[in-house]
Amino acid sequence: MKKILQVQSLKKYFPIYGGLLSRVIGEVKAVDDVSFDINEGEILGLVGESGCGKTTVGRMTLRLLEPTSGKVLFEGTDLLSLKGKELAMIRPKMQIIFQDPYSSLNPRFTVERIIGEALSVHGLAQGSELRKKIEALMEKVGLSKMYLKRFPHEFSGGQRQRIGIARALALNPKYIVCDEPVSALDVSIQAQIINLLQSLQKEDNLSLMFISHDLNVVKHLSQRTAVMYLGKIVELAPTELLNRKAAHPYTQALLASKPSLDPTNRKRPKPLQGDVPSPLNPPSGCHFHPRCPNVVDRCKTETPRQIELEEGHTVYCHLYDD
Amino acid sequence: MHSQDPLLDIQNLSTFFHTEENIVRSVRNVDLTIYPGETVALVGESGCGKSVTALSAMRLVPMPPGNFENGRILFKGKDLLQASELEMQKIRGNEIGMIFQEPMTSLNPIFTIGDQIIEAICLHQDKSHDEARILALKVLKKVAMPSPETRIDQYPHELSGGMKQRVMIAMSIACKPSLLIADEPTTALDVTIQAQILDLLDELRKETQMSILLITHNLGIVAQYADRVAVMYSGKIVELASVENIFASPSHPYTKGLLNSLPKDTISVKLETIPGAVPHPAFLPEGCAFHPRCAEKMGECEREIPELQSLDSNPKHQTACWLYNKTPAL
Repeated sequence: MKKILQVQSLKKYFPIYGGLLSRVIGEVKAVDDVSFDINEGEILGLVGESGCGKTTVGRMTLRLLEPTSGKVLFEGTDLLSLKGKELAMIRPKMQIIFQDPYSSLNPRFTVERIIGEALSVHGLAQGSELRKKIEALMEKVGLSKMYLKRFPHEFSGGQRQRIGIARALALNPKYIVCDEPVSALDVSIQAQIINLLQSLQKEDNLSLMFISHDLNVVKHLSQRTAVMYLGKIVELAPTELLNRKAAHPYTQALLASKPSLDPTNRKRPKPLQGDVPSPLNPPSGCHFHPRCPNVVDRCKTETPRQIELEEGHTVYCHLYDD
Repeated sequence: MHSQDPLLDIQNLSTFFHTEENIVRSVRNVDLTIYPGETVALVGESGCGKSVTALSAMRLVPMPPGNFENGRILFKGKDLLQASELEMQKIRGNEIGMIFQEPMTSLNPIFTIGDQIIEAICLHQDKSHDEARILALKVLKKVAMPSPETRIDQYPHELSGGMKQRVMIAMSIACKPSLLIADEPTTALDVTIQAQILDLLDELRKETQMSILLITHNLGIVAQYADRVAVMYSGKIVELASVENIFASPSHPYTKGLLNSLPKDTISVKLETIPGAVPHPAFLPEGCAFHPRCAEKMGECEREIPELQSLDSNPKHQTACWLYNKTPAL
């Protein structure tokens, strides 16, 4: 299978300024040594709780954020070495859809301008041809072309998310980062947008990184799922396998904390104790050890290495390392 | 099933907001009863009126623009809509506690959490500051706050989201309310913390025999924690039944649609959707508010609003839909 994106030991440390002279007094390890690939035409789910670094990973793969170190290869090209024109040439192939459809659209622009802006910036269309392209995009995402001259405030959340999707599709991208695209939407609208993303992905053979904290949505959409905890990937596996045979205690806890939709089955496992520690001062060794039910001495001092349990299923946990 | 009198009995409540342009009909003729010791879930999408229903029961709806058009809210037999502001102050936080969605913004950032809990206690109970502090510490322990002795003197910004929600719960149960209104108590929290908080609320309910009105849009939470469920759509309760009946045999097309639109355990099958979007509460369609999105709509649906009526098969299962409503309401 062809790989569209390869990420190798990606790190992002944000400096913390403090003191009288605003010197760097520490750093937040938002993303700490993360590696994974995305195949062509694949949806990779990226799951984790707030502050675990999933959005930072997504933005770095688009170079919307500069990594501290590591490598991002897009179709084999080292994204981080590109500058100026070369970078501008590759940008249309990668896009992003944001979480909040209320703040990610310019309130002063009409739908026509929001969707068409990228096309005119890259000089791909103008005049009536541009209009035609915009109309085609609107139709593709299920918006009536009557709405061409309307402003974002005239739309509901679900419709706004459709505008955001049309904007992302305008340049025929190959890879789209979907950063919690349905979290701000109601259940009945969520399903509409999920179906839309799924059919567009199949139609254009898009590769998606689907960032979410909702395990059900990721399970429904993605072929493979990566689980992040405090800046690190703790487990990566084909989605079906991850749900059936989760290996990392954190993944197991996440799956267990998902409330079951069966009211006759109320045997709830004991929830994970404690809070997610601050990434400012993460625990030593395995970051998960203070909350882990299976903790051993080694977890407190040694960072677990990557272990391949079976083809395509990797986990970072001392339980499986002997 | 319920031999006792209801603790809270909302009868035919309508709460509208009169804005300069139009009238927003947030809650329309809602009937809802809560019995002692049970958890009733109020489910629906954003803007359907679940929070306004709860705020009405607390008399926290700003007036104007808000206005109670009709109805009664009986709490222990007393109509809260007729109560004076002073009487309400004695009930709020004392007999009815409330937890809000965002623990981040519901605590005062310039007071320690201890001060805030003590204030709530002193307002309702004849206790000295020192006695109230002892009680505050006791409730913080009860909500399983880690190291409560140090936390009590900390400010909200020093606590995590989950801990802040524990403080909110501690504050609302300090005066042993008989009803706790929890408005989306875990929506702002992570999944692993969500389970902790909901389990805590459930334990407290069993221990103190209080009732909980749980407002949520998460059907998984409903399935796990509620005894009875009221589904709201555009300001009206469209279905009311036991949690088992709602999930096993939903009757209203909206409830069915909601349950079907959830991702299932099978991978990559197309999700079922409800077409269209929720109507704006100021511009509701004629008849049943759901009819423009309903796959099973009939002639009556566009003309008359269906009443909440018991199903023939189960008197405890009520639905407001012409499909089941054989005799016209008039």
